Amino acid sequence: MDFVLDYISVTTFWTVLFIVHALLAVALLGALTHQAVAVWGPVRLASTPGGSAPGFVTRFRSVFAPSYAGVVCLLWVLAFIFGAIIYTKYRIYVRIPIEQQGLFKTLGAFELKEHLVTIGLGLLPIYWYLWKNARNAVYDSSRKWLTIVLAAICWYGFLTGHVLNNVRGFGS
Amino acid sequence: MSAAAQTQSAPSDRRRIFALVFGVSFAVLYVVCDMAALPMFTYHPGSDRIDLGFTPARPDEGPAMYWFGWIATSALGAFVLALGAALLPQKAGAKIPLALAWIVPIALVPVLIYSLKFYWRW
Repeated sequence: MDFVLDYISVTTFWTVLFIVHALLAVALLGALTHQAVAVWGPVRLASTPGGSAPGFVTRFRSVFAPSYAGVVCLLWVLAFIFGAIIYTKYRIYVRIPIEQQGLFKTLGAFELKEHLVTIGLGLLPIYWYLWKNARNAVYDSSRKWLTIVLAAICWYGFLTGHVLNNVRGFGS
Repeated sequence: MSAAAQTQSAPSDRRRIFALVFGVSFAVLYVVCDMAALPMFTYHPGSDRIDLGFTPARPDEGPAMYWFGWIATSALGAFVLALGAALLPQKAGAKIPLALAWIVPIALVPVLIYSLKFYWRW
C-alpha cells in the first residue's frame, strides 16, 4: 500500500479510507432501514383499483426485504474492515487528542459503538440464514427482531461515528 | 403466530444451529474478553508491533490496542462452541431457542455500558 503514498499525502490517504468507510455505512444504513421497516410494518396488499396512490412511508416499507440480506452482510463486513483499518490511526491521532480535551463521554459512546458493531458482525451468519429461509414462518419473529436489532446498532454506530468525526475527524 | 406457522416444523439443520450458537457465543465471549482483558494478541499501532496475549502499553511506543485480540479470541471460542453444538444430535440442537439471536445482544448492552463506566464521568 505504500506506493499510494507516492501520489497522495498520508492525510489524504486516511481521509479517503474514512470516506469510503462512511459511504459504506450510509449504504448499509439505507438497506437495513428499508428492511427493518418492511418487517416492522409489512404492507398488506389491498385491492383498491382506482384508489389513491400509496404514500412515501408505504412505498418505503413495501420493499422486498429478503433481497437486502446478502448486500447487508456484504456492506457490514466491508464497512467493518475499513473501520478496523482506520481504527488503528484513530487510536493515536484522534482518540488521544480527544482524551486530552477531556471529552470522555464522547469516547465512551464511540467505544460502545465499536463493541456493538463487533457483536453485530458475529450475528451476521444467523441473520443471513434466517433471511435465506424467509418463507419459513417459524423464523418470522426472530428474523424480524434480529433485523431490528441490527438496524438499531447500525443507526447508533452511524450517528456516533458522525458526532465523533465532527469533534475531531481525520485531517483536523 | 398463525396456525400454518405452528404446524410447520422448524428445520433443525446443522447450519442453523452453527450460525445461532456462533452468533450468541461470539457476543457473550466478546464481552467476557473485554471485561476480563483476554485478547489473543495485543497490537501496538505506534510501533506496528503485535504481542501474544495481553501486553500493557510500553513507554514511548504509544497506546496498545486489544480490540483485534478480543475479536480473535471470541471468534475462535465461538467457532469451537458452534461446531460442538452443530455436532450434537439434532433433537438436542433444536432445543436452542432461536430468539437468543436477538435477546442476547440486547441483554448485553447494559453490561457493555457498565464496562465503559470509566468514560461516564461528569
